[in-house]
Amino acid sequence: MIRNYLKVAMKVLLRHKFFTFISLFGVSLTLVVLLVATAMLDHVFAAQAPDVLGDRTLGVYTLTMSGSDSIMNGFAGYQFLDRFVRPMTKLPYVEAVTFFSMPATGISYMDGKKIESMVKHADGAFWRVMRFDFVEGGPFTVEDDRNARFVAVINEATRDKFFNGPALGKTLEVDGQRFRVVGVVGNVPILRISAYSDIWVPIGTSKTDAYKRELIGDYAGLIVARSRADFPQIKAEVRSRIKEAEALIPDPKTYKKLTGGADTLFEAASRMFLPGDSGTSHPQRLRMILLGLALVFMLLPTVNLVNINLSRILDRSSEIGVRKAFGASSWTLVGQFVVENVVLTLVGGLIGLVLAAAVLSAINASGVIPYAQLSLNVRVFVYGLGIALFFGLFSGVYPAWRMSRLHPVMALRGRSV
Amino acid sequence: MIRHLFKLVWNRKRTNALIILEIFFAFLVLFIVGTLGIFLWDNIHQPLGFSSRDVWTVEVSMHQTNEDYDPNLAPAFLRLLKETQGLAPVESVAGAMVLPYSTSNYTGGSDFNGRQILASFNDVTEDFAKVMGLQIVQGHWFEKADETTPWQPVVINETMARAVFGIENPIGKRFGDPSKDTKNPNPERRVIGVIREFKKGGELSAAGNYVFQLKRLNGSPAGPRINSLERPPRNLVLKVRPGTPVTFEEDLVKRLQAVAPAWSFEVKPMTQMRATAFRFALTPLVIGGIVALFLMLMVGLGLIGVLWQNLLQRTREIGLRRATGASRSDVHQQVLWEQLILTTFGVLLGSVLVVQIPLLDLIGFIRPGIFIGGMLVAMLAIYLLAALCALYPSTLASRVQPAEALRYE
Repeated sequence: MIRNYLKVAMKVLLRHKFFTFISLFGVSLTLVVLLVATAMLDHVFAAQAPDVLGDRTLGVYTLTMSGSDSIMNGFAGYQFLDRFVRPMTKLPYVEAVTFFSMPATGISYMDGKKIESMVKHADGAFWRVMRFDFVEGGPFTVEDDRNARFVAVINEATRDKFFNGPALGKTLEVDGQRFRVVGVVGNVPILRISAYSDIWVPIGTSKTDAYKRELIGDYAGLIVARSRADFPQIKAEVRSRIKEAEALIPDPKTYKKLTGGADTLFEAASRMFLPGDSGTSHPQRLRMILLGLALVFMLLPTVNLVNINLSRILDRSSEIGVRKAFGASSWTLVGQFVVENVVLTLVGGLIGLVLAAAVLSAINASGVIPYAQLSLNVRVFVYGLGIALFFGLFSGVYPAWRMSRLHPVMALRGRSV
Repeated sequence: MIRHLFKLVWNRKRTNALIILEIFFAFLVLFIVGTLGIFLWDNIHQPLGFSSRDVWTVEVSMHQTNEDYDPNLAPAFLRLLKETQGLAPVESVAGAMVLPYSTSNYTGGSDFNGRQILASFNDVTEDFAKVMGLQIVQGHWFEKADETTPWQPVVINETMARAVFGIENPIGKRFGDPSKDTKNPNPERRVIGVIREFKKGGELSAAGNYVFQLKRLNGSPAGPRINSLERPPRNLVLKVRPGTPVTFEEDLVKRLQAVAPAWSFEVKPMTQMRATAFRFALTPLVIGGIVALFLMLMVGLGLIGVLWQNLLQRTREIGLRRATGASRSDVHQQVLWEQLILTTFGVLLGSVLVVQIPLLDLIGFIRPGIFIGGMLVAMLAIYLLAALCALYPSTLASRVQPAEALRYE
């Protein structure tokens, strides 16, 4: 049966090349936009190298101090992480804890040329949580961090800017500080938010020790759980520790409460973009908003497709009349038409996938997003097919229903719907 | 005639309803594009108020927590200013809390006769106007003497002056109502000068209220103090002599680093910040514009297809008209008018929805006039699109031969 439907579908598509072109154009265009957006989101939120443990990692990213009429938002401060999150290493369900700063621009001059790099301060454990692939040498250690040794790990792009050839053991100067290169890693895209930087140096090498006094600052902490099942326990633990840390608020007259929590990356994003009351995160709401945006974007192409489909049926009224006269039920006809439409959208979907791959590689090549390695992986491919299917059903049902209600006699005479 | 056309449209209401829906969505897309376009065009044509030519910026990171209040910072910053001023390629130098083209903002509301007015603020040192080439239209810019006045001097832009003082002369007037907090009152502020404009966000941003306050790095005179004004600003801006080579950057950083080894410095020509700001603002717009263009192409092709198919269905009707003496251009016109009536319905629906934005003041920073402009542009574009789409199918329809059409089944 389905084979017959497919055959008819292909015949119909080829008969009206103009209509088929318009439909495919609309479907593939919509798919390209949605797929590029999906690929970017996937790149940010999915666990992939270097944070391969992303699936069982929770992060303390932002903290909020709030009072009756003042609110201060920011990344976690080192003091908070050091005093309240570091001791969590001892808990049985925690595998590792690591702290690192948000990358900041560091300036160097080489032979009169300026080089700008992103510099991230990280602790020794960072290299155990993040699995970078080292091209040369290896990471700096917990010892290096504790003793504030001026050592650095750099990425390949930075190596090429500073040195010709291998960099191991050589020194580079950033913001007036000299570091010895102990390792070189492959470039990490900026979308891998926790890992991204050009140069990684020990936290102990910071210019002043002001960071040690910060409750809110520019650090983040990652907590790797033994398994995802431990997430609720860790979240509860972090919440209670944040409550304890309220005693450290430097200005208790203005700020009364400290809020935040251990989040997955997506929860952290929802906390950032949907600043809610009492510092809770709303991942569901963010998911709904993203889904809603995708649906709104699909509205215009869908209406367009429905219109074209309706026109296309008018043309086939005699075929429908014959089938009805020979006893095909309305449901059979609806089924047939929806299958035809889904075939059409899937073809459009495939074209869309190819075009999206081209757009993504163009984005990678343009350098708009530093070190971007956007690609269509299996996950994005499945999302794409899902969107195309949904699109096909969504835009096929109404025209099919209209078609199935044609009166056979009228249809055979070729009268309009 | 019109009534008859409405009847024809009504007869095919179910098919037409979907076309109207499509035009409605297309109108919304065009409205967004049109409004943003006019918003930017309007912004670009408003005066900028400063020049970024030969201006370099230095971002100073002092590596201090927000809570630290270190009395040694201000003198150290003054030493930086002095050191920089002494360098040969530097014409003038000043400190500033917020840089033009930067993403950081410093906004606040103050009460004026009980009415709150929002403004952007910037705390700067004396030579800021000279470095940035600000144009003073009334009163004067900050001078040495202003550092020791018992009240806080402020310089505001013309927009702010109009918003607060109307047509009165603002010079010497009190700026803001007396502090309600009697125990710990803020010092009185007075307007000493008015500048033409200062669009901190750059050419593409909208003009708004702007207030400059003078940094008092030598310490405030007796009386209530604003501690924040005694903290050093986060940036240096310097006007360099034309033709200063890029190599001076390295020299400058080394000098600054020697004066304050614990601090970090990032030097950038302001033209570079300007380029970055433009790229940040325009990239999403260009991408959105391309997507919108493709959407309109899709809508256009879709309309052509639907109209074509519909007219094919009505071959007999058209044949009858031709047989009873209607000319080809009559058929042309009928098709065109029907299409425009459908478009009008879509546009009406869209306008009713869209006009709520300025009416309910949903998006405050865009003036109502710009929304109206965006609506007009969208209307024009959608009517043009609809008429263009009707052209080819109506030509086909008008070619119908009466005799053929009448026996058409």
